Amino acid sequence: MEDNRENGMPNLLDLEEFDEEALKKESEEVLQMRLLTADNAVFTRTEGGFLSLQFDGRSYDRVGVYLTFPLTNSQEFISIREADEKAKEIGMIRSLGDMPRDVQDMVQEQVRLRYFMPVIRKVMEVKDEYGYAYWHVQTDFGSCRFTTHMGGDAVVSLGEARYQITDIDGNRYELPDLYALTVMERKKLDLFI
Amino acid sequence: MKLLYTLKESQQQALSLRDGETIWYCVPVDLAFDNRARSPQTSYTDQTWIVVTEERLMTLRGEEKTSEHLLADCEKIKCEHQVGCGIVTVFPREGLPECVARFSMRQIVRVAYAVRGAQTLVQAMQEGKSLRMVSRVESREYEKYCEKCGRALPGTSKCMYCDGKSDILKKFMALCGEFIGRLVVISLLLVLLAGINMFNPMVQRYFIDNSLATGQGTTVDLWLFIILTFALTVGGMVCWIYRYWLCVKLGASLSMSLRAKLYYKIQALSLSFINNRKPGELMNRVSRDTRQIRVFMQDVFGDMFSMLVTMVVSLVMMMIISWRMTLLSLVFVIVVIVITRLFWHHIHTIFHKQWLRADDLSSNLQDILSGMRIVKSFGKEERESARFTEKTRTYAAIQKKNETFWAVFYPILTFLLGVGTYIAVYFGGIQVLDGSMTVGQLVQFISYSGYLFGPLSWMTHLPREMMLMLTSLNRIYDVLDEEPILADKAESKAFPIEGGFTFEDVSFGYQTYEPVLEHISFNVKPGEMIGLVGASGTGKSTLINLIMRLYDVDQGRITLDGYDLRDVQMESLHSQIGVVLQETFLFSGTILANIRFAKQDATLEEVIMAARAANAHDFICKTPDGYNTYVGEHGYNLSGGERQRIAIARAILNNPRILILDEATSALDTESEFLIQQALNRLIKGRTTFAIAHRLSTLRDADRLVVIDKHGVAEIGTHNELLEQQGIYYGLVNAQLRMSGGEK
Repeated sequence: MEDNRENGMPNLLDLEEFDEEALKKESEEVLQMRLLTADNAVFTRTEGGFLSLQFDGRSYDRVGVYLTFPLTNSQEFISIREADEKAKEIGMIRSLGDMPRDVQDMVQEQVRLRYFMPVIRKVMEVKDEYGYAYWHVQTDFGSCRFTTHMGGDAVVSLGEARYQITDIDGNRYELPDLYALTVMERKKLDLFI
Repeated sequence: MKLLYTLKESQQQALSLRDGETIWYCVPVDLAFDNRARSPQTSYTDQTWIVVTEERLMTLRGEEKTSEHLLADCEKIKCEHQVGCGIVTVFPREGLPECVARFSMRQIVRVAYAVRGAQTLVQAMQEGKSLRMVSRVESREYEKYCEKCGRALPGTSKCMYCDGKSDILKKFMALCGEFIGRLVVISLLLVLLAGINMFNPMVQRYFIDNSLATGQGTTVDLWLFIILTFALTVGGMVCWIYRYWLCVKLGASLSMSLRAKLYYKIQALSLSFINNRKPGELMNRVSRDTRQIRVFMQDVFGDMFSMLVTMVVSLVMMMIISWRMTLLSLVFVIVVIVITRLFWHHIHTIFHKQWLRADDLSSNLQDILSGMRIVKSFGKEERESARFTEKTRTYAAIQKKNETFWAVFYPILTFLLGVGTYIAVYFGGIQVLDGSMTVGQLVQFISYSGYLFGPLSWMTHLPREMMLMLTSLNRIYDVLDEEPILADKAESKAFPIEGGFTFEDVSFGYQTYEPVLEHISFNVKPGEMIGLVGASGTGKSTLINLIMRLYDVDQGRITLDGYDLRDVQMESLHSQIGVVLQETFLFSGTILANIRFAKQDATLEEVIMAARAANAHDFICKTPDGYNTYVGEHGYNLSGGERQRIAIARAILNNPRILILDEATSALDTESEFLIQQALNRLIKGRTTFAIAHRLSTLRDADRLVVIDKHGVAEIGTHNELLEQQGIYYGLVNAQLRMSGGEK
């Protein structure tokens, strides 16, 4: 390699072969769905409140838990990724239900840490005032007041009677079933739905 | 944005601060987190705080200290953006990362600032710097909610309800002062108009009482009456038209004046001010908010005063005629106000719904039209049209319902307003019958009560109009009052630039919670060509924005020839920087004007020389109008390579000391790229150059390459040095060679 230093290009061409192999391997890997199962993956909860993993001869101090279908299938196809910025995928959990109980709990805890979308149980009041709507609702996180714009993007339908509400801070709230609300509550939502 | 909240005495005690230990940052978090189990809880929390002193990072829940970390033991502290929430993670020097707090998006910006503050302390400790050298992190971002009333602030610093209203009105009055002459004329017209309105019923009464009721009137009286009434009506109409015309003119001038001021101000403000706002928002402030002012001036302002004057005078006249009947009517006024208010809310609701549906429908239509090729190529026309039909159907149903409601409601409202007249007729009629009132007086009274009731329904939504206008004004003045952060200081220097740069521990981020560049340090000698390399999104363009000083660094400093970039006069700096970007923006105008953009007084010869140097002269000659060819939007269609060469000519003409090439040759065919590369090589000679390119071959002439990865400088050196390191650059070069090999 040394003698080729003066002239960069031939030097690089020499390396082409080697690189192609590596890249090929990488793209093959992406093609495969690497499944994490009770047999091949060991999850441990860390002292700091995160999740560590031993898989395929490697050990990860902290892994990220990403739901691939957070709104529809939160128990399936969970992507476990490295904790750094690139967040390279380590593998997927096909169905959380197939994992041992303790792993389910650990993964669920990480999901609860990473995802925040309160579910609205009761609508107390919706008041509109000059371009903003002020909401007061009961959620699974407790009583909550938030503010949305009056425009069309504040409340969007997620299909059927399910709605998602986005406030001016960027917090999202889920209304799982419009018809589970009382008539009076639905009337308060008249402006949006 | 507030980063230092005051804790209660008892909470302060819970922290057990050492003597001399002070709280630097104290911010609230709103999601419960069990610090003992280190587990998120499913509940909101109140009175939970993150507290940073110069020694420790603590969390406080109520009066209990729930976690504590010595900053000296921390490797780093990070605010990590999750999905819909954020967490604070502490990376200790030894051991695994720990989560210490969780919060919703409502607090994320605030926490991010506080954590950044904590991180600067941690870093200062690691570098052994004195804490006295560390300055507190401050946030220029606005609060989203008013602290006093909790209402959302429309992107402004002041709440209109609490402290902004009188302030804004005062400023608005000052602005109106420019048009004082027109305002005086309008006021005079308003008084005149009210006078005419008031006079009309008097004439009627006089005619009825003295000519009709007595039975002694003549045809002359009749003619006189008709002519007088006719004259009054026509006079009123002329006044009204003239007044309306003046109000339109006033509104237009006002909004024009505001728009000009806004435009000027926005140009002067830094990109960070513009970036802090949503893309469309500033445009809205220039176009929509100023239009709101104009509409208010022409439709509401004039009517508001003339109606108020008319109503007050009518009331006085009614009182004079019969105070008892007036009081009776007033009771009814309240009823009408209540009814209209109730119904207005309902009307507002149903029409808002209709508007939402229309919005939905049109975005759906736009979706389908712009995606027509995809829809057709997948053969999904029928499904899409069924979807659209469904939406149209719901829209039509809502529209039908609304219009029906309106058709029923409006006559009823009119009837209700008319009921007042029936009452007046009944009681007035009794008085006329027993002789305590004349027929003329009754007619006069009824006319006045019409003046009183007529505008009532209109008046009920006057507060709304007022509020809308105030909001718009507030948003406009919010921009106008902003001080440009990047403004030149009195001691700013202007000097011929040599082109030597140093980056000293530079950090910067557009969003507080997402730093783009961290701790960048390197030197650039005058005349050196630096290639910036890295994957997309790593901050290469950001670095260039900092060099051009479109933004100021958050931490550290950039020096140019030994002077802090912040002390260099902006115009002096920018007049010596030449920029060629990936997307070449040509202004609507001739090629000549575009090349001359940076140097208006360049001679034609200079322009041609610059175009020749940029390899642009040939194709310009071939265009029908040569250098006079009109380009830009709606203009002559130039190819990407041609536009690029014009941009290069523009840069050459300016003879800059510093040259910035941001992907200047990407996405071009081989021939154009060669021509441009040639032009650039001529341009680069002897100038400090920063070049970004994905195609690494473009950078083969660079003296040194700076590889940016993970927000920092990962590698720096010549092409060969970096290859030898077998690091990121080596990987990138290999990847590109492989790709070009694959194309073969």
